[in-house]
Amino acid sequence: MDVLGQPDTWGIPGPTFLVFFLSTAAVLVVGTLVHRSVRFAGRTPSDLDHLHPVQVAWLNGGDSLAVYTALGALRAAGAVGTGADRRLHRTGPLPTGASRLEWAVHEATGRRIRAGQLTGDGGVRTALTDLRSGLERDGLAPTADARLAARTGPLLLLGLVALGAVRLGAGLAADRPVGFLVLALAFLLPTSLVLLFMVPRQTRAAKTVLRQMRVRYQHLSPVNSPAYATYGVAGAAMGVAIFGTAALYDLDPAFAAQAEIQRTAASGAGGSGDSGGGGDSGGG
Amino acid sequence: MRRRLRRGLRRMTGDGATTYGVGIGWRPEISGFVADLPGLRFVEVIAESVASTGPPPALAELRDRGVAVVPHGVRLSLGGAEPVEPDRVRHFAQVARLLDAPLASEHIAFVRAGGVEAGHLLPLPRTREAVDAVVANVRRVQAELTVPLALEPIAALFDWPDDELDEAQFLTEILDRTGALLLLDIANVYANARNRGSDPLALLDRLPLDRIGYVHVAGGAAHDGIYHDTHTDPVPDAVLDLVTDLCARHRPPALLLERDGHYPEAAALRGELDAIAEASGYPAIT
Repeated sequence: MDVLGQPDTWGIPGPTFLVFFLSTAAVLVVGTLVHRSVRFAGRTPSDLDHLHPVQVAWLNGGDSLAVYTALGALRAAGAVGTGADRRLHRTGPLPTGASRLEWAVHEATGRRIRAGQLTGDGGVRTALTDLRSGLERDGLAPTADARLAARTGPLLLLGLVALGAVRLGAGLAADRPVGFLVLALAFLLPTSLVLLFMVPRQTRAAKTVLRQMRVRYQHLSPVNSPAYATYGVAGAAMGVAIFGTAALYDLDPAFAAQAEIQRTAASGAGGSGDSGGGGDSGGG
Repeated sequence: MRRRLRRGLRRMTGDGATTYGVGIGWRPEISGFVADLPGLRFVEVIAESVASTGPPPALAELRDRGVAVVPHGVRLSLGGAEPVEPDRVRHFAQVARLLDAPLASEHIAFVRAGGVEAGHLLPLPRTREAVDAVVANVRRVQAELTVPLALEPIAALFDWPDDELDEAQFLTEILDRTGALLLLDIANVYANARNRGSDPLALLDRLPLDRIGYVHVAGGAAHDGIYHDTHTDPVPDAVLDLVTDLCARHRPPALLLERDGHYPEAAALRGELDAIAEASGYPAIT
């Protein structure tokens, strides 16, 4: 009960509740960040040359960019094309040294599907799963367990926010002062949502690798109008992997347009965000 | 500055001249290929493509690893009747400084007249008046430059009717009066001789070969009986033979492959560089 004679909400004085509320929130936020710092550190590969373009693409832009990188490699090798119906088809054999994902995409084009449907193709999905598992083993992608665990803190934080919201409602109904609680909730709600949905796709080591790759392969940036004939299939693929589907338009604008590939430039922010599921294709 | 100029001239010509061997035109499109050439000691960049704030990182990296980078102007219009534009000259000289270039080069041609941009390098009439105009403009550029300037005669599909000098006289007069070096485009020599039905060796024998700063080698193709120095086709054997003939007379300190588009596979580009090395007797850079 306070000096005005009104009972405290839930019998707990406001300052006491705020201290408990903010302390718990601080523990959850710090705990989440510490957990990410430890579990998402990853391992830096000893030799960047061993990274395949589709691996780089997956780290940079998830499933869809990995698939478009494979498609770019196959197109540069003259192995795929598009028909008048905008469906992909094979125009040549699988190039030697192709990755499992390139093989799966080449197989899928034999079924004359659209570029936007590739990430949903069974064989391609299996290849993507293998690709991701390999990156997890190499310490470049966090494991599924680590990603799940990374959401525990934000979920608890959301629960705390819900508790605060209920307290806020009760406080308002009782005409109690709620200014500090509103401020705390205004900060914690977006924080918890960001932490919940922005679980990194790649480890910190992978982000470092991506930064190094962007410098190393700067000559493949579309701003340089790279001579893909000179850089070959691997160069074309690495260009798409690092600089996004804008590079695919640079490589073969007619093919990219006909395949209805959405033109995106990989920004270099090193993408966080959920999953790497399909979704940036305009096809389908 | 004068001392640096004289030192530069001695570096590029004379008995103890620094030799750079075979190089290639640095273009953003093939910058990754160029950077990976293990024996590279010399590249050329279009001067107007370099910002006055500094070269692009890939070019700066080459410079920093000791590769000589030569700015090659295409827009000064040295052969124009009007004085070269001071802003363009300042930028040209600034780029040479930024690149720590051993020399800079431009064309004996005009690209604008009366404020109208031609968009191409146009040939001058070989008259004494034209020599005077070129010499005056070259001196204006040299006044800003801290390194030697090399002048490149261009390929021409026609001769002006009022020519007073032949090509060798015209070039020699300009070089003598300005003290400039010669940037000899051997593919132009071949193209001009072929299109005019003259002997390219006769021209080589009359040019001051000891004043060559470096040589351009490029590909071309014939259309409707006329050979065009396209820079987008492979270097023909006849041009490589001319490189050998030139080097037999006086081997220049450097030869540079100019490729400006329709870039081939890396193996083909390396093959062209190797062919120039073989024709000139310089070590392969691939």
